[in-house]
Amino acid sequence: MIYGIKKGIPITFGYVPMGIGYAALAIKAGLNPIETVSMSFFVFAGAGQFMAVSMLAGGASLIAIVLTSFVVNFRYFIMNFVVYNKVEESNLPLNILSAHLVVDESFAIFSLLEESSIWIYIGLAGIAFLSWVFGAAIGVVLLDFLPVIVTNSFNIALYALFVAILVPSVKRSSRICIMVVITGILNYVLQFFIANWSVIAATLIGAAIGMYIVPDDDLSADNQEISSEEVI
Amino acid sequence: MADVNIAYMIIGCALVTFIPRLIPAVFVDKLNFGPGFEKFLNLIPFTALAALICPGVLTVDPNIWYIGLAGAIVAAALAWKKVPLGAIVIITVIALIILYSVIPYFGVIAALFAFI
Repeated sequence: MIYGIKKGIPITFGYVPMGIGYAALAIKAGLNPIETVSMSFFVFAGAGQFMAVSMLAGGASLIAIVLTSFVVNFRYFIMNFVVYNKVEESNLPLNILSAHLVVDESFAIFSLLEESSIWIYIGLAGIAFLSWVFGAAIGVVLLDFLPVIVTNSFNIALYALFVAILVPSVKRSSRICIMVVITGILNYVLQFFIANWSVIAATLIGAAIGMYIVPDDDLSADNQEISSEEVI
Repeated sequence: MADVNIAYMIIGCALVTFIPRLIPAVFVDKLNFGPGFEKFLNLIPFTALAALICPGVLTVDPNIWYIGLAGAIVAAALAWKKVPLGAIVIITVIALIILYSVIPYFGVIAALFAFI
């Protein structure tokens, strides 16, 4: 578990600032501080929460907000399938307790690790959860003192983390690079037609294309190198 | 602002997020995947990240599209040089704060270059 927490520390650097950024947006949208923090605790969905509070601020209806959350967060279904397929000893109570913890970053790091113990995953994903809630709490307290430029700059933290996780694999395999670029373009085009569904559609279509263009070796070589390399 | 009950919104969002998370955690043993499907699942982290970055990164600042792009380029360059993840995030945020602080002077800098 300690090992997992260590692997999760980079996520903390992204999640605390991002949590502050979310808090800024939530308060602007009309949530009170307790609602802001409890949403982070009970929903725990980075992009999904940003989207929900922006929709609230934009005057969307309850149904539209909840439905969009479902669509945007449905990727966690696929991610948890990958996670619980990977963990060695499947243990129902532990699975149920940790199911809430999956997010893009903990999923991406765990799925690229060589180790597959549930405890490593709980350490990794748990520290991400705590930093996200903690970030929101800091946000509601600090908000009045932070200039807009700083809170705006915090919004990049999430994307910096995404890019940083992708780059090593893209650098190693030109085929993965091609798949990633195709997926990005696909999502950009699809959003004009199917709006919020595009993230899921592009992810699945991109991976389907990858089945044909990415050789098996590129994936296994990738796993080994990531795990042998110190993340921090 | 629409008249949305915020407590209902939080409960609704929490439920529709948690249930899809829970189903695979409970039923994982009931489902067996072939090697092909496993490869498909292995490819998903890459494509999911790609779809989350593009085009979302261009709307980090809804008013200035290149802010997010600049941040992504900084992060990519640092990752290319094998800088640790945590440091990449911090340096990128700092780089953007600096970029924001110099944007108001772009006009002045452009004028200076024109003058030279």
